[in-house]
Amino acid sequence: MSELLAIENVTSGYGESVVLDDVSLRVNEGGSLALLGRNGVGKTTLLITLMGLTRLHGGTLRWRGEDLARLSTHERARAGIGWVPQERSVFPSLTVEEHLTAVARPGPWTIERVYAMFPSLASRRRNFGGQLSGGEQQMLAIGRALMVNPSLLLLDEPMEGLAPLVIQELRGIILDLIATAQTAVIIVEQHAKLALALTENALILDRGRVVHQSTSAQLLADPATLHRFVAVA
Amino acid sequence: MVAHLIGVLFDGISYGSLLFLIGVGLAVTLGLMNFVNLAHGAFAMLGGYSTVLVMSRYGVPFFLALPVAFVVSAAVGALLERTLYRRLYRASHLDQVLFSIGLTFMAISAATFVWGPTQQPVRVPSFLQGQVQIFGLDFGAYRLFLIGVVVVITLALGYLVERTRFGAQIRAAVDNQQVSAGLGINVDRIFCLTFALGSGLAGLGGGLGIEVLGLDPTFPLKYIVYFLLVAAVGGAGTISGPLATALILGVFDVAGKYYVPEIGAFVIYALMIVLLILFPSGLFGRRA
Ligand SMILES: Nc1ncnc2c1ncn2[C@@H]1O[C@H](COP(=O)(O)OP(=O)(O)OP(=O)(O)O)[C@@H](O)[C@H]1O
Ligand SMILES: [Mg+2]
Repeated sequence: MSELLAIENVTSGYGESVVLDDVSLRVNEGGSLALLGRNGVGKTTLLITLMGLTRLHGGTLRWRGEDLARLSTHERARAGIGWVPQERSVFPSLTVEEHLTAVARPGPWTIERVYAMFPSLASRRRNFGGQLSGGEQQMLAIGRALMVNPSLLLLDEPMEGLAPLVIQELRGIILDLIATAQTAVIIVEQHAKLALALTENALILDRGRVVHQSTSAQLLADPATLHRFVAVA
Repeated sequence: MVAHLIGVLFDGISYGSLLFLIGVGLAVTLGLMNFVNLAHGAFAMLGGYSTVLVMSRYGVPFFLALPVAFVVSAAVGALLERTLYRRLYRASHLDQVLFSIGLTFMAISAATFVWGPTQQPVRVPSFLQGQVQIFGLDFGAYRLFLIGVVVVITLALGYLVERTRFGAQIRAAVDNQQVSAGLGINVDRIFCLTFALGSGLAGLGGGLGIEVLGLDPTFPLKYIVYFLLVAAVGGAGTISGPLATALILGVFDVAGKYYVPEIGAFVIYALMIVLLILFPSGLFGRRA
């Protein structure tokens, strides 16, 4: 499998403060990684470091062999990173359809395909972002990121605050994405078991450092480690 | 009596249309970049002088001089945005105010140096001079023309912002810059283009407005309060808010000066204070 993303000895944070300390990881084309850890350990910071929204104090970010850190935020998205932010951050002044068209880039993902994947978005295409339910906002945030036609999808706690039924639906969709599409995925989740069931590889962060790295199956079979570093399993 | 009232309304609306045309760019920079650009009036003045210059020096007809005013102000706006303004997007509002006031004074000195302190004349085409009779009432032809131009531009602007992909990207950037950039929208480019558009419209308004507002080097200071009111009371980052505010401002300013000349100049300030108390985030404000 060829390497898509490599993070090597990355130290980053906000302004002078350092959150991530010497973090390294690797994602292959089409691969999937569960990024786990308790609240405030730096999971979101790791994702937005990839987007160029933190201060990179040291280390390298490699994307298909090239230096990712050279690119500005919008260039990274265009290079093929689809970001689904933790707070979803749908745009209140854009309709559902405008969310999809405003960021669309050429590739296999089209509006029709996104609507086929999320039928409830299709029926609300004229509604504004702020008028959607939590579950619909999450679907819109994922659909919007897919319209960028990414090679890597960053999902930051996609199940957070959603009803069990909606979680079931999203779970199927994410599984589908990982299984069928060529898109690689990094998924941050509080529901560790759920994320591990979806992914090949797993990584645990604790206070900005990598404390565990294995396949997801191995971590699932290691309740002691899960218990030690991850809130609820 | 009724004829007077209609006349005052008409003058007020045409005056307000002009204020909107010039001020809408300021509302956009305030809403999109969160930048307090007190030099906005200088772009209008630049458009005014461009109009006078190409007409008197090169014999360009008035209708061609107006697009030139738009292009010159837009180009200078884009240039200054790239080189100066963008450095101050994250600065405090005090820094922005000091910078843009400094720029205003430089523009005033430069205009005085090049064109002198006197009012510049503009010769509008003969069919725009005089009056037009509609239903037995006399309307200034130039003011009708002014309203027509602003109606067309407002519709085009509304279409651009509400119906096009570029407009959706502008709104996305106003809502959330980081997420917009994180989804591949080139926010820097959008800032530059909208700044240029706002400056260009101010320049067009400056050229169109010579006949109504006059043109001399103090222009950017004399009218900045009006433009700021249009942006602040209207609600930064919208189009309908500044439009409504500019029209109210125009009508009440004209009416105040006509009906109560002793205190006429103060009427709009009282009105704007009341409006701001009633609608602290602007008439159609999105930002709290
Ligand atoms: N914009 C910011 N400026 C300064 N510090 C921040 C900022 N965002 C996060 N932090 C700090 O960085 C640390 C890591 O935060 P981060 O959001 O990456 O954690 P997380 O693992 O995603 O947590 P959660 O599970 O709650 O989402 C925390 O101590 C947090 O206070
Ligand atoms: Mg987080």
